[in-house]
Amino acid sequence: MPSRGDLFRLCFRATDGKMKKVLDRYIVDQPVGTCKEKTFMKVFCLPWNTWLEFLRDILKEYQLIAPLVRDGYADFGEITAANCDRIKYAGNTTTTPLKAFFFPIKENVIRNREKSKRVLLGVPNCDLAALELLDSIYLGGDFEDHFYKESRENTVIFGKDCDDIKDSCHCVSYGLNPYSEKNGDISMSYMEGCVYLSPMSAKGETFLAKFDLSPSEILEALPEQVVLNRDSIATQLNAQTKDVPDEKASRICIEKENHELWRKHASTCVSCGACSFICPTCHCFLLLDRKGFEKVKNWDACQLPGFSRVAAGEDPLAKLSERLKFRYLCKFSYKPDMFHALACTGCGRCIDACIGKINKNEVITQAFQQG
Amino acid sequence: MRELNIYRPIKAELIKVIDESPLIKTFVLVPEQEISFKTGQFIEVTVENVGEAPFTPSSSPLETKQLEVTVMKAGYVTEEMHKMVPGQYMGIRGPYGRGYPLEEFYGKEVLILGGGCGFAPIRSLLYNLKAISDRLRKVTLCYGSKTPEDCIYKPYISELRATPKFEVLRSVDKADASWQEKVGVVTLLLDDVKVDVGNSVAVVCGPPIMMKYGTFKLLDMGYPEDKIYLSMEKNMSCGFGKCGHCAMGHYFVCKDGPVFSYNEVKNSPNIWM
Repeated sequence: MPSRGDLFRLCFRATDGKMKKVLDRYIVDQPVGTCKEKTFMKVFCLPWNTWLEFLRDILKEYQLIAPLVRDGYADFGEITAANCDRIKYAGNTTTTPLKAFFFPIKENVIRNREKSKRVLLGVPNCDLAALELLDSIYLGGDFEDHFYKESRENTVIFGKDCDDIKDSCHCVSYGLNPYSEKNGDISMSYMEGCVYLSPMSAKGETFLAKFDLSPSEILEALPEQVVLNRDSIATQLNAQTKDVPDEKASRICIEKENHELWRKHASTCVSCGACSFICPTCHCFLLLDRKGFEKVKNWDACQLPGFSRVAAGEDPLAKLSERLKFRYLCKFSYKPDMFHALACTGCGRCIDACIGKINKNEVITQAFQQG
Repeated sequence: MRELNIYRPIKAELIKVIDESPLIKTFVLVPEQEISFKTGQFIEVTVENVGEAPFTPSSSPLETKQLEVTVMKAGYVTEEMHKMVPGQYMGIRGPYGRGYPLEEFYGKEVLILGGGCGFAPIRSLLYNLKAISDRLRKVTLCYGSKTPEDCIYKPYISELRATPKFEVLRSVDKADASWQEKVGVVTLLLDDVKVDVGNSVAVVCGPPIMMKYGTFKLLDMGYPEDKIYLSMEKNMSCGFGKCGHCAMGHYFVCKDGPVFSYNEVKNSPNIWM
């Protein structure tokens, strides 16, 4: 019986039909979102030129999306042979949250759309962690959103190691790390002219096996320097967020009645909804009706006036301070109870996006201090 | 086979419009595919190119070929619905949510408190209760509306009064000379009801203010919190717990309700609005 490592080694060097069959039997396809507990210990080391070749091979079959720097900000953009040397591997979060690729800003949910196979490269762990909640909402229960499901199934996600942090980053506050461990398909680390790839899901394993990769080495674990780099970023984050309560402490302090706190922070809120739109876990939408009984699913936000208003006029979230409070309770109390997943992954985007300068961590820290 | 696309409505022909009151109409719809629902569940009705709104059918759940929705003119979707005439088409999605737990009603008296357009889900429930009346001890309906003109389902009320085991008490906030029944808020009717509270369940459906004081009065009468069933009204948009609009604390009303026992929701925020 060949070992797991032997199989991979063979597969990557000889992709003949017989070996494929062995591999197909060996790799069991798992549905989206069920690979959380499985661990894959193989690390493929690709020298820089091999990596670029791999990207070009991906481009033949897949749409490739990765962070590019535009106007000083890193955001996802489409990669072509012409710009694949400009991918920004380093950094932290992108402006656009990952959810936008599975739950687009605007989507006609009646018309069938073209199915395209996609590779998303360079996704930070805060975005990957958000998939746990989104998958539970869109794929769970009696009704499965097949638009979301198709997008998830047709996309292979490469997570990345964050190699710097912004002031608002705080994933470690909620038990997450600034590098990918699960929820994506392949983890990707970069160091000294080499890219290290490690499958995180069966889908990631199958994907890597499809390509005639020539890794310079197949390691049992990440090189020590990569681990040290990861730890160093985690240490910086821990230092930066030492006063931010974790998700359980946050919950306890915001569940307490504290009208003054919400009134105070709502005083600079302009109800723009940016905090919700930019949030990797916010899932709310509005269905707009069109001719021919077509429906368009649009991002919506609980921070916008009228979100919960019924036809007769009653609106539980009519007051701005109520809406702000609802957002925090939704993140730390309601969603964790309903779906057993984190609803804030500490990406910090809501803090960066707020034009009223409402800092989520300050709100919670104040609530915590007021006990 | 169930439609794969959860957002796609089934087209339904409007075959009849019944004027119930100046603000309320009943629309009789024949969907292109049969829809079966449990009483208390709701459907989403689409007016093409206008919008979509949730309604609990007011017809019998035992009838699957056609269904009725009773609609008060309140917002932009219902206003457009009120302009529609037989021969036009609406869209229907559903049914969604959790209806009335009828098995909990077996062997018991059922006390129903309804107000205004809240009679719509109740009528569907009453049709169903009539079909299982041999398993019930008694059904009492207390129904309130603003004026005699606003009382809906007048022919059905007469039919119900002639049905064994069924009793109907009505009140209006403001009477005219023709009104022979109670005058005052609907909860006053509860003073006249003879009911064995210990062997009874209560159902409340109506405007939020009526639901609130109706529930409090039932609690005063001695109804246990888990024997009072409320049909909650929130902004249900998708119908299946994904769009977030009907969030009520730890519940999505569309998927976890719309029927809740008071016990389940008493600690949730904003249940009366």
